[in-house]
Amino acid sequence: MILNPSSQPLRSRTLVHPGAFNPVRIQSRHSASGRHIRLALSPGLSLFDALVKPLARIGVKSASTTILGGFFEELHFCVAPADPTKQAVAAYTQPIYAGRTYMIFGNATLGKDMNGEPLAHCHAAIHAEDGRTRGGHILTQQSIVGADPIPVLVTSLDGFELRVTFDPETNIPIFQPQETSDE
Amino acid sequence: MNERTVVETGAMGRVAYARIAPNEDLVLAVEKLCLAEGFKNAFVRGALGSLVDACLGTLDDKYVHIKGPAVEIVSLAGEVRTSDDGSMRASLSGVVADPDGNVYGGPFVAGSNPICVTFEVTLEEWLPDANGPKR
Repeated sequence: MILNPSSQPLRSRTLVHPGAFNPVRIQSRHSASGRHIRLALSPGLSLFDALVKPLARIGVKSASTTILGGFFEELHFCVAPADPTKQAVAAYTQPIYAGRTYMIFGNATLGKDMNGEPLAHCHAAIHAEDGRTRGGHILTQQSIVGADPIPVLVTSLDGFELRVTFDPETNIPIFQPQETSDE
Repeated sequence: MNERTVVETGAMGRVAYARIAPNEDLVLAVEKLCLAEGFKNAFVRGALGSLVDACLGTLDDKYVHIKGPAVEIVSLAGEVRTSDDGSMRASLSGVVADPDGNVYGGPFVAGSNPICVTFEVTLEEWLPDANGPKR
């Protein structure tokens, strides 16, 4: 839903999350220098496997990646409307099937889930099979790279790692930068 | 370096990743991330997350409001620059998706884009050459 163009900017709404307010609002870490990699996503693999496996082979476990556009044989995504159960302020919908899709632009963050296994968090703008231009949270394990390799620019995050950690304020597990656990 | 500099040579420096918490403003928080990390100038290299509602600028100096929650950030590019007076300014541009998956694009208006659940951003520090552009 969009409101008509206005001459005034929007007055922000402050939402109330279910958990206690964390006084630390910006959790950040840095690497002394960026390591850059050009990755081609392999046709026929899931977006998850095409991102995670080649990078794991060269020791990259946490990274920020830009997907520079390309076709997917099939793609599934979800959006995040208000959570009807009120357990959080927003919750992902059931997967939406977009069919054969052109991904216009995407960003994916790689890190570890709560069990230390690889996880990719991807948001992208897409041109879906029904002709609509849409966007949302891409299901990386269910979305399959099309016939042509898709270029990705990877910035490796060295010296720290991204790990999904339960966030009490939002009541949702989310990526947070942490000290490296296994090296 | 000033606003009229056309070509600025330099190098990328450090890389920072941050998780920014709910209800913080997208644009102002990116500026504060630079303060936290000591970056004077930076490019945004990766960003995803969600907004409570989004507010984007239009061609005729108006504002479009996209109602959430949550409005997903699906594309974002931009930079942070230190001005001649020493203050810091982020300019962020991108595409968002509303709770039905419909997309809208434009510049993010500072002060009007509160983060919903989380915002993940990667900044690459930009280090301009001290003596201006090489000829």
